[in-house]
Amino acid sequence: MSMSQEEIEALMSGLDIQEDESPAPEVQEPEPEPAPVIEDDNTSMSEDDIAELIAQTDVPSEETQEDSVEALTEDTVSSENIDDLINSIEDSSSDTQDDESENIDDILASIDGMDESIPEAPVAPSAVETPEVNAEPAVESIPSEPEKEAIAKDWTDGQIDQGVFPFPVEKNTKVVNQLSEVATDSEEKASKIFDVLSFILDENNEIQKNSKKMDEFLIKQIVLLDSLSKKFPNISSFKTNLELAQSLQTVPQDIIDRTNAENSQLFEAMELMQFHDINRQKIERVMSVIKKLSTYLNNLFEDETDYHDVATAKHIHGDVNSNLVDEQDLDALIAEFGN
Amino acid sequence: MKILIVDDSSTMRRIIGNVVMQLGFSRDDFDEAEDGVKAWKILGESQYDIILTDWNMPNMNGLELVQKVRSGGNHQKVPIIMITTEGGKGEVITALKAGVNNYIVKPFSAEILKEKLDGVLKK
Repeated sequence: MSMSQEEIEALMSGLDIQEDESPAPEVQEPEPEPAPVIEDDNTSMSEDDIAELIAQTDVPSEETQEDSVEALTEDTVSSENIDDLINSIEDSSSDTQDDESENIDDILASIDGMDESIPEAPVAPSAVETPEVNAEPAVESIPSEPEKEAIAKDWTDGQIDQGVFPFPVEKNTKVVNQLSEVATDSEEKASKIFDVLSFILDENNEIQKNSKKMDEFLIKQIVLLDSLSKKFPNISSFKTNLELAQSLQTVPQDIIDRTNAENSQLFEAMELMQFHDINRQKIERVMSVIKKLSTYLNNLFEDETDYHDVATAKHIHGDVNSNLVDEQDLDALIAEFGN
Repeated sequence: MKILIVDDSSTMRRIIGNVVMQLGFSRDDFDEAEDGVKAWKILGESQYDIILTDWNMPNMNGLELVQKVRSGGNHQKVPIIMITTEGGKGEVITALKAGVNNYIVKPFSAEILKEKLDGVLKK
C-alpha cells in the first residue's frame, strides 16, 4: 500500500502511528551486481571495426561489373557447349555405372548403419539453387564441413524458433545476467544524460551572466547617447544609435527569461530521471524473484538419493510412434534376416 | 551548513544535489556516499547538519544507517530525511520508529524536498 505525501505528513504529526501496526517489512537489499560480463565470443564490434570490414570487402563497382560480365560470358560459353557436357556426363556415368553398382552394397550398408532417429536436415539455401552443369560425378556434391555446420545451425535455429529446443545456456541468454547488464548500462547512460543536462545548465548560467553584463552596458550607452543627442541635436548618428540601443535594451532580458524557462525544463527533465532509479529497482526486484525461483526449483528437483542415470527405453508399447513394430512387422523382419 | 546525500544510484545523488543547489547551497556544501558503510565512514570524518538517505542500498541499507546514527556518536541528533521508493505505510512507520525526521517517496518534486528540508532545518 503506497502512501501519499499527505498521509506521510499525517504520520509525521504522530496521528497515525500505532505500536501494533503492520510488522516491520523485510528490508530488501539489492543483490550486489555482478561484474560486467566479458564475452569472448560474440564480442560486439565498434563502428571503426565495421568500417574496416566494409572497406576490406568493398569492391569498386566497375570491377564488380566487369566480373559479372565475365561470369556471364563464361556462363554463355558453358551453355553453348551444353550438349558436349551432357554427352561427357552420360559417358562418364555409363563408365562409372559398373563401379557404382559394385559399390552399391557398401553405400546401402553405410545407410543401414545410420541412426534412423537423426532428423532430416533442411536443405540449405545454397543447395536449393540450380545445380551447375558439371562433368564431375554426383558423389562430389557432398557438402563440405562448413556447409554441414551451416545446415546444422539452420536446423537448430529452426527448432529453437519453434520452441522445440530451448535457447542454449550462454551469457547472452542468462536472464539474470541480462537484467543485471540492463540495470548497469542504463545507470551509466543515465549518468551521461545527466552530464549533458548539467552542461546545458552551466552554459545557460554563463549566458545569463553575459546577458546581465550586456544589459548594464546598454543602459550606460543609452544614458550616454541620450545626453550626447541632447547636447548635439544636429548630429544624427547620436540619435540613431540611441534609438538602436533603446530597441536592443529588451534583448538581454529576453535572453535571461528564455534561459530561465529552459533551465526550468532542464530541472524537470532531471526530476523525471528519478524514474530510471525506480525502474532499476523494479528490475532488481524481478532479478530477486528469478533467483529465488531458481533456488526453489533446485531444491524441488534436488535428488538426495543415490540415484544413477539408468538406460531408458526408446520405444515402449503405447507410444505414438511410426517406428514401433507390430507382430507382423516383427515376424517379417525375423524372417528376412533368417537368423 | 553541510549535507550528506546517501544513495546507491549516482543519478539520484545528482538529482538530490541539484535540488539542494537550487535551494542556494553550493557544491561544496554537500558530500555523497553510495551506501551506509561509506556514509558511516564519512560521518566519522566530518560533521554534517543534515543527512538525506535512501533505504535500499547494498552493504548497509538506509534503515541500518539511521539506527546506527541514532545509537550514538556526533550525529545522534542530526536531522535525517529518508528518500526512497518504499511507499508502504509499514515502511514509513518503521523508518519513523528508527529515528528519521521526515520521509519522501520517490519520485518527488524539487518543491517537496525544499519543503521537507525547510521543515527539518527550522526545528
